[in-house]
Amino acid sequence: MSFNDQTLEHLKKLCKIECSPEEDKSILERMSRILEYIAQLSEVDTEQVQPCRYVLQSMLKNQMRDDEVKDLLSRELFLTNASDQIGGMVRVPPVMKSQ
Amino acid sequence: MKPLHLLSGIELREAFLMGAVKAVDIAAHFIKRIQLHNRSLGAFLSVLETRAILKAEALDKKRAQNKPLGKMAAIPIAVKDNMHVAGEITTCASHFLVHYKAPFDSTATALLEMEDAILIGKTNLDEFSMGSSNENSAFFLAHNPWNLKCVPGGSSGGSAAAVGARLAPIATGSDTGGSIRQPAGFCGVVGYKPTYGRVSRYGLVAFASSLDQIGPMSATVADTALTMEVIGKYCSHDGTSLDLPSETYPLSKRLEPDTVIGVPWRFLQRLKPEILANFMEAIEAMKSLGAKIVDIDLDLLKYSIAVYYILAPAEASTNLARFDGIRYGLRARNTKTLEEIYEFSRKRGFGQEVKKRIMLGTYVLSSGYQEAYYTKAQKVQTMILNAFEKAFTHCDAIMMPVSPSGAFEHGSIDDPVEMYLQDIFTIPANLAGLPAISIPSGFDKRHMPLSVQIIGPQLCDVSVMQYAYAYEQATKHTGVPPLYKEG
Repeated sequence: MSFNDQTLEHLKKLCKIECSPEEDKSILERMSRILEYIAQLSEVDTEQVQPCRYVLQSMLKNQMRDDEVKDLLSRELFLTNASDQIGGMVRVPPVMKSQ
Repeated sequence: MKPLHLLSGIELREAFLMGAVKAVDIAAHFIKRIQLHNRSLGAFLSVLETRAILKAEALDKKRAQNKPLGKMAAIPIAVKDNMHVAGEITTCASHFLVHYKAPFDSTATALLEMEDAILIGKTNLDEFSMGSSNENSAFFLAHNPWNLKCVPGGSSGGSAAAVGARLAPIATGSDTGGSIRQPAGFCGVVGYKPTYGRVSRYGLVAFASSLDQIGPMSATVADTALTMEVIGKYCSHDGTSLDLPSETYPLSKRLEPDTVIGVPWRFLQRLKPEILANFMEAIEAMKSLGAKIVDIDLDLLKYSIAVYYILAPAEASTNLARFDGIRYGLRARNTKTLEEIYEFSRKRGFGQEVKKRIMLGTYVLSSGYQEAYYTKAQKVQTMILNAFEKAFTHCDAIMMPVSPSGAFEHGSIDDPVEMYLQDIFTIPANLAGLPAISIPSGFDKRHMPLSVQIIGPQLCDVSVMQYAYAYEQATKHTGVPPLYKEG
């Protein structure tokens, strides 16, 4: 399967990342090289093998906690890192378009 | 008394407890060293000067009042800048987080401070820990203290350079595919990746959550062991934290009789002669300590890099989706729509390697490819896990080199696959959740440090540390780079 300009454009949309033309060129080149390399996995016979979901099988258990409300991060502290805010909330451009 | 920077963390603590030196003098000494050397070394992204001095003053007061002092009392510690220290900036060496002020503490650094360590600064890294040379830092390069033209390794390159140059006796790192062990190896210090889940990842900015593990880097195995005693604790904030009592690490210069070390000779058959010769010396040292050496079959490990470069980017692409420019981090200006905020903030905030890995991860998870790439990689991971399990029925620990070569020069590796191959010997321990340590084993012809790795079965952190200590005490390859002995 070849990795081409169209695949790259599609991926950029999925990832919501814009790139400069130079980055496009370099990423395209490098991605093709990496995909070529990882294709070697196809030579491994995994017919009878289950995918690994967690490495420490001996320690596998559900991690449950009490269902209680905790105040881990105050609104004020949270908002110190927001680049735009209004009235104690994060401000973003309008999502709904006016008629 | 030796100059303070030539003392280990434990020796510094002893000197402080005995009253031979004040905590403020220790803090001031290391801050001065950072100010003197960091311009050329690039190890630190920020110095926590006020925090360090305040902590040191409090420690001196505590000591004067005969109050109990913690296990890490007055030991300066450098923190990789992907771990939160509340109230301080966490950048992950990314433009995205230049102004991000951590609203809470990572569990590991909180535990260190509770035991009276002095957090002295935040260290350089490859952006979001993605790299093997520290050349992907968005801010500046970090250099190898043994030769400034060479890389310190990555991604915890700043931590390794800081400890190597004795700008701090101990540093924290994080290891997803070798990011503690490889830079430690390149800079001639000890680096330890614990069993997956041994150290809480709470407050560590996630790269690939199923592989990430925090661990210590230091000049001596004893300092690494001490740090593990402090940070290796169960934490309810991390769902993968191991709910086990914390370990103590008794260290002895002798190996237990009947210790068996496995070496995967076939997997190692293409080692460069220089690396092989150094590795053979390490094997001889273990033999003279009484260990029996056996050949083990781990040929499957040749697929580790391919597995890793599917799994790690896949997890990274989901973890880094949170950087959307809305709630925190950089928000691109002059954007009119929400979509534009996402796309342009991510364009400006992320460097090229990060973008590439997000795209690679998205690609292997995308419709039509998930089975062929992601699930396939998870199946090969199961096989690697089983291969290790089988190998450990024949031996107590496995030895390998840390890297295929000593530290390389800046800019000398451009091909991405060649760069990824740097981690061929370190990635397997992450894929199988195993504890693994890198310890200095000598120097190459250029007088750059070389290191060997000891890998143990899951949960056997204590015995890995013990083997490493016996090896270190028998060989004493740890040295101080000539440029950094003085002042």
